[in-house]
Amino acid sequence: MDNRSPLLKRDGTQKLLASLISIVIGLIFGSILVAVVGLLSKDIGGKGIWDGIRLIFIGLFSKTRDTAGNLTWGFNSTNFGNMLFRATPLIMTGLSVAVSQKTGLFNIGAPGQYLMGTLVSLMIALGVPTTAIPPVIVWLLAFLGGMLAGALWGAIPGMLKAFLNINEVIACIMTNWIAAVLVSWAFSAAKFSVVRGQYFNQTDWTNASGTFQNIAEGTKSSYVYKTIWNNVATPKLGLDKIFPNSQVNAGILIAILIAIAMFVLINKTTFGFQLKACGANRHAARYVGIKDKNNIVYSMAIAGALAAGGAALYTLAGNTEFSWNTYQKLPAIGFNGIPVALLATNNPIGVIFSGIFMAMLNIVGTQLTKFTAYNEYITDVIIAAIVYLSAFALVIRMMFNGSKKKAHAAEPAPAVAEPAEPATEPIADAGEDPAPDAAVEEEGGENA
Amino acid sequence: MDNSQDYVIEMLHITKEFPGIKANDDITLQLRRGEIHALLGENGAGKSTLMSVLFGLYQPEQGEIRKNGEVVKINNPNDATRLNIGMVHQHFKLIEVFTVLDNIILGAETTKMGFIQKAEARAKVQELSERYGLNVDLDAKVEDITVGMQQRVEILKMLYRDNEILIFDEPTAVLTPQEIDELMEIMRGFAREGKSILFITHKLNEIMAVADRVSVLRKGKYIGTVDVASTNKQELSNMMVGRPVQLVVDKEEAQPADVILEVENLTVPSKLHHNDAVKNVSFKVRAGEIACIAGIDGNGQTELVYALTGLEKSTGGKVTLCGQDISKASIHNRLENIAHIPEDRHKHGLVLDFSLEQNMVLQRFREKQFQTLGFIKNGAVRDYANGLIDRFDVRSGQGAITTARSMSGGNQQKAIIAREIDREKPLMIAVQPTRGLDVGAIEYIHAQLVAQRDAGKAVLLVSLELDEVMSLSDRILVMYEGEIVGELDPKTTSVQELGLYMAGAKRMNLEGGNENG
Repeated sequence: MDNRSPLLKRDGTQKLLASLISIVIGLIFGSILVAVVGLLSKDIGGKGIWDGIRLIFIGLFSKTRDTAGNLTWGFNSTNFGNMLFRATPLIMTGLSVAVSQKTGLFNIGAPGQYLMGTLVSLMIALGVPTTAIPPVIVWLLAFLGGMLAGALWGAIPGMLKAFLNINEVIACIMTNWIAAVLVSWAFSAAKFSVVRGQYFNQTDWTNASGTFQNIAEGTKSSYVYKTIWNNVATPKLGLDKIFPNSQVNAGILIAILIAIAMFVLINKTTFGFQLKACGANRHAARYVGIKDKNNIVYSMAIAGALAAGGAALYTLAGNTEFSWNTYQKLPAIGFNGIPVALLATNNPIGVIFSGIFMAMLNIVGTQLTKFTAYNEYITDVIIAAIVYLSAFALVIRMMFNGSKKKAHAAEPAPAVAEPAEPATEPIADAGEDPAPDAAVEEEGGENA
Repeated sequence: MDNSQDYVIEMLHITKEFPGIKANDDITLQLRRGEIHALLGENGAGKSTLMSVLFGLYQPEQGEIRKNGEVVKINNPNDATRLNIGMVHQHFKLIEVFTVLDNIILGAETTKMGFIQKAEARAKVQELSERYGLNVDLDAKVEDITVGMQQRVEILKMLYRDNEILIFDEPTAVLTPQEIDELMEIMRGFAREGKSILFITHKLNEIMAVADRVSVLRKGKYIGTVDVASTNKQELSNMMVGRPVQLVVDKEEAQPADVILEVENLTVPSKLHHNDAVKNVSFKVRAGEIACIAGIDGNGQTELVYALTGLEKSTGGKVTLCGQDISKASIHNRLENIAHIPEDRHKHGLVLDFSLEQNMVLQRFREKQFQTLGFIKNGAVRDYANGLIDRFDVRSGQGAITTARSMSGGNQQKAIIAREIDREKPLMIAVQPTRGLDVGAIEYIHAQLVAQRDAGKAVLLVSLELDEVMSLSDRILVMYEGEIVGELDPKTTSVQELGLYMAGAKRMNLEGGNENG
């Protein structure tokens, strides 16, 4: 069939352009904000504003200030490495939201699933003695155990939705807070006695014995031990050679592989076909004999496993710290999966890039704090602006197609004798034509 | 009718183009005062576009509109209202949580110092509803009343605004036969009062019953205007489709063979009320026959089919399909022997956001020919879909990759029928397979169902259209309030007799059933 639409009219192209436009407008908005804040402040001045604006756009390439006080630019391995490191959990929570969205569910439970993943992977990574079992195996157990915990946690709202028809958003929000309290309680109450390993074999261990709380280091008792204390850490696979002086490790590669796997799962497999069918029309899925209820549970379980996998990759890095007092706050990384997925229009491959982009903004924030009088939270405002604009992606796509009515009328190709319904029923669909909503998630036929 | 030159509305030489298509090409429509003028055409013939032009939603490229001989410009629906043109849309424009009265006066409230004068409005609406026999409960909320009553509310909205020219866009699509009769009576009443009616439809029976004249459109072109008194259904359908159409189904005598489906004392609960929707129903369908469940909508047909296909659970009785008891089987297992053309093609039949080819393999994607190790073979799916598209002449903008949502209703239905027929199952359940379709498509679908029967399949047809029931079926089972109240032979029975059974005025004592007769 050689009737594919031209590049600009294709669904995928339009989604990409819409996201890029949102990003550019968001960054411009951030610059304006920087300028306004700068003009209102006595300490910043023209040079400070100029530095701030440049940092917003190319902060990733900022290096340091030279002796004259000017910013220097170029490839900064710390920035790049840390960006990839921070992108890792974002990609995973982004995938979590995107995959559930593909099947018609809104997984706002990523923070809770993330916490459950953290809990179980930390407990395994710290609790299994690496003197008896090789650290690599412990790492693997911790990673898979974390994902399993997230899958089970995600399945709870899935089951509530499937069998009791309870809105998954409400169930997710509730399970989030249950997870928050549960994790706090677990780390404050849990005792473990079989810990061995490099540090734990030392003589003053008697003081620390019995809890996960880092009382070995003076001021760190509100944190859990780093997994490196038990010799468990994600391998670097040479990435630290490419990006020296950064936290990067192989987690980013794992996240990218999982994203590709999710793309394949959703678009190429019978399982993905079922999930999408349930998401797009649950009644039709039932009518053709697909078990819609099971698929809802599977979808949420996969989403939970992905979010928890992100937590595992982050905590198992070895050098990250987890504050176990979570009962009053949910991890922002869980919620940030939503803008990541939104910006990627729920395409798993797109999530890789939007996750890295969000992490870059994060780096920009730290660079702003480091080099200027601005606060890193300015980047949060930029993210908010971009998210807001991605919701307008629809409007932007409409601009590509001309107005909505024209787009409809243009749809039936002249070769077709019988024009499609919308062209001939303008009265009927003036009001309630289902908007070409963002939930329409076909990859423009590429995968078909 | 006073005088043949007394046109209240004239649309002269209207041309309306959309990119790539002329929706209206030099169309002339002249409406006399006090007449019921039908506008006939297939889906996509340009009827709705023409009415949108009259209602000010579209501006034509060429042509003019005259009211009482004077050229008028209608730029938006408000202009249309000022010219006393009113319209009942196919999909009602009502606010569900408002009362009937509030809906009627909405946008045309009489106010005093900013306060709505409801008593005044109520009196006017009551007077109108009595004069025209439009029975509505003014204080009921729209969400609680029947579709037929909602339509009467729409009609009252037009009358409340003192409209003289009333447009009805496919008003009978959603109504039961009784409600259709009532509507026809109401329309005649309007005509007697001197109001002029434009009646958009593709149902020939209704035109013959109520219209004075009929204008026919085909593919955006004006074909002609004829007096209903001097024409017949065959001529009208030929004008509409552009070729001779088979109005009567051409079929041989049925050769019923083995029993494929046996239903014994089936009971299905209702979701709407506490009673059972299907009560103790028993019947058989044999290979090589078309058995038809006739009845007025809402008498348990939907629930019966849901229970047979597994979409809903039955609470009693037994269903045997091809010798196996499937009363408790999963939908998936039942589908091994059932092809099902569902009642609601948007809800059940298609995943509208999927492509046509994905919809074609909706049940079959797990089969060996379409997947290896869980990976879908896109090439095989594409080839298979293209095969069906060719064989069943399913038309769409971009072929196999067209999104189902963008296809016309007739072609969506053809796609479903292609898919279900090609699954080659011993039992075909077809529920209102021609609903909302035009004559050409109906002819095609009827022929396909007969072909299925002749190929030795058992066909269970559920239909609300009396014509379809009479012409297509080999055996008629009439359902009334959840029970089968009669089994008739279409060759020996009459439409009138069938109607009596459907209305519950007559019933038989059937073997196997326990009803009291």
